[in-house]
Amino acid sequence: MRAVSNVPPVTRRAQARLGLLLALPVAVVTAVFFVFPMLNALYYAVVDFDGLDPTPPFVGLSNFTEMFTDAATWHALGNNAIWIAIGTASPMIIGLLVAVVIWSGRSGAAVYRLLFFLPFMLPGVAIGIVWGWIYDPVNGWINRALGAVGLGSMTRGWLGDPKTAIYAVLATAIWATCGFVTMIILSALRNVDVELVDAARIDGANAAQRLWHILLPQIMPVFLMVLTLTLVGGFSVFDIIFIMTGGGPADATEVLGTYAYSSAFQLNRISYGTVLALLITVLAVPFTIMLNRLQRRLSLQGLGA
Amino acid sequence: MKKIAFVVSVALSTGALFATAACTGGAPGTGSGDVQQDTSGQQEIRYMIGQPEDPADLELIKSDLKTFESKNQGITVKLDVIPSENVRTVLQTQLRSGQGPDVFGYDTGPGFAGALAKAGLVYDLTSAYADHKWPIYDFAKKRVTFDGKIVGVPSQIEEVGVFYNKTLFAKYGIAQPTNLTELTAAAEKLKQNKVIPFAVSDKEGWQGGHLLSMSLSSAVGSNGMDDLLNGRTSWNTQPVVDSLAVWKQWNDKGLLTPSPAAVSYDNANALFYSGKAAMNPTGSWLALDIERNAKFDVGFIPFPAQNGAGIFSGGLGSGTFVSASTKKADASIKFLDYLLTAEHGRWAAEKLQDIPAYPIDTNGMKASPLFKQVLDDSAKIAGGTGDFGYNIDVLTTDVFNNAMWKGIQGILSGQAEPAKVAAQLQTAYEKSAK
Repeated sequence: MRAVSNVPPVTRRAQARLGLLLALPVAVVTAVFFVFPMLNALYYAVVDFDGLDPTPPFVGLSNFTEMFTDAATWHALGNNAIWIAIGTASPMIIGLLVAVVIWSGRSGAAVYRLLFFLPFMLPGVAIGIVWGWIYDPVNGWINRALGAVGLGSMTRGWLGDPKTAIYAVLATAIWATCGFVTMIILSALRNVDVELVDAARIDGANAAQRLWHILLPQIMPVFLMVLTLTLVGGFSVFDIIFIMTGGGPADATEVLGTYAYSSAFQLNRISYGTVLALLITVLAVPFTIMLNRLQRRLSLQGLGA
Repeated sequence: MKKIAFVVSVALSTGALFATAACTGGAPGTGSGDVQQDTSGQQEIRYMIGQPEDPADLELIKSDLKTFESKNQGITVKLDVIPSENVRTVLQTQLRSGQGPDVFGYDTGPGFAGALAKAGLVYDLTSAYADHKWPIYDFAKKRVTFDGKIVGVPSQIEEVGVFYNKTLFAKYGIAQPTNLTELTAAAEKLKQNKVIPFAVSDKEGWQGGHLLSMSLSSAVGSNGMDDLLNGRTSWNTQPVVDSLAVWKQWNDKGLLTPSPAAVSYDNANALFYSGKAAMNPTGSWLALDIERNAKFDVGFIPFPAQNGAGIFSGGLGSGTFVSASTKKADASIKFLDYLLTAEHGRWAAEKLQDIPAYPIDTNGMKASPLFKQVLDDSAKIAGGTGDFGYNIDVLTTDVFNNAMWKGIQGILSGQAEPAKVAAQLQTAYEKSAK
């Protein structure tokens, strides 16, 4: 049964028009920047486009079939998994601990904030190039330092050794991300109820207990937001790997992002690259939604500072 | 009723969007001759090139364009310089959208200019060749001819071999190697004296193609290379395995730059310039930079064969092309015509050490002994005298090059064996031939 409205039809129509008018900019932006590119990607996924032929042949789902039977995809996905696990957990833990230490400190907080946030302000390309020099097998600082302290046997081509390359790039990414995590968590810690912390201390809770039982629950929504951003970054990681190793040596550091790029732009397989890019999206979205819902639920439960 | 209207409108909108999406594949150039031409008196052509290795070269190119403009009133050239590694992506996107440069520098191989020609994105210069009687060497003309159409002007003859530091060789009493055994012995002696024998880099991957080109060319000769490149011989054969194995053995013995797969081309060159590395296996395009940066005498030899001096891998580097969708075809062809004058050829050789793919008068030309040697060798390539191998990657497809580059990177990083890579090369060759 429909509710009877007292609003005159003329006013209702005017309100509807106004509503449409107000929604139009968002609708246009969504269509142009989301719907159209997504449909475009879906179109390219079902044809065999080489970047040149204006009338690519329709190939149905064969790009998808190839992707799931392609050993290189699974290898890249494995590297993404390493990246997501280590590249998410490390900056979250380091960032949290550094933020708590700075927050607890009495002086020099501004200096430490600046120092830790500085790497995040640098362009990814610059970070990749500079760390590439640091890892250089002949003139790199790491090998020189190891040689200087008598650990010359440990020197190696960090980015050229398939056993260390992915971890060497990861270490750079962690270094670059920690500052961001620190700053956001530090901002959240400013809203923490200090009386609760003091009360816990009086009750005999040690630092780890205070962090786990008092601080973390209060900053949980912010923590989850940073976790979501870092996690999704792990799925779509591209620039730092592309700059530092290009996915090499011989695919040792290949992730879905670099594999999609090389397929599309080095092998002229735009359609296959598109399918790989879609896979990144499909994998990242459920995690994002899940963490977003968790964050919302915690906020509704009154958790969070 | 409203529900039906909503569903229909959503379906129609989606259909329309899909149709629009499908149309974004866009047809750009429709070939030569059917694009409305700009007939205005003052024309500006856009000339796209990859960033030269040395900024000094860019300044020379700019001054050369000024010379062209002064000789061709009414035509100006807008130089568009982009990072070399982005040339392919940027160029293809621009050409496909019909917004490409009028003239551009690009590689001449089937995976590069050949792919553009197949898609109808480059201007057919066959009649321009006939009209202007451009004196390009026949072998070079063949490399820019696809489906019977000449689509470009080859602009550089190159050879791949081994640069070596004569001063360091003399210091350690090493003579110029005349076969592979002597080269290995020389490298071992250099290593004993704490000098990196070979400044080998393979971080970018493409260097691997040159490494194989030089060792394989010397192993099988030009006829053998012809057979491999034309599918008459399998890549999965012992000479290919052995030519790959040379680099693996040297890497295992520590005769190459430590961890070459982590060393960039520029860093390896820097090791050579600084005297930390004694030999640099690369192409003649580096001769000018070596002259500018190295403070010692440099020699350039072919990669030795097992039982002899070996042969250089020679061939064409890049070329200059005109976009099929250019509205300034006449001005663009005038520009090409200028690039092909004997005067310009001599200037390019003297200033940029670019060896044109047409005869130039070298009498009285200022050239270092190193470049003079490169020039003389190149003249033999052009004249068809002497035995020259091939630089593989400019003659093969993307699929093959990808297999070759990754395979050699795998060998140099301990992930692959030469026999496995040779088999992969054959698979890639067969895949490309389909």
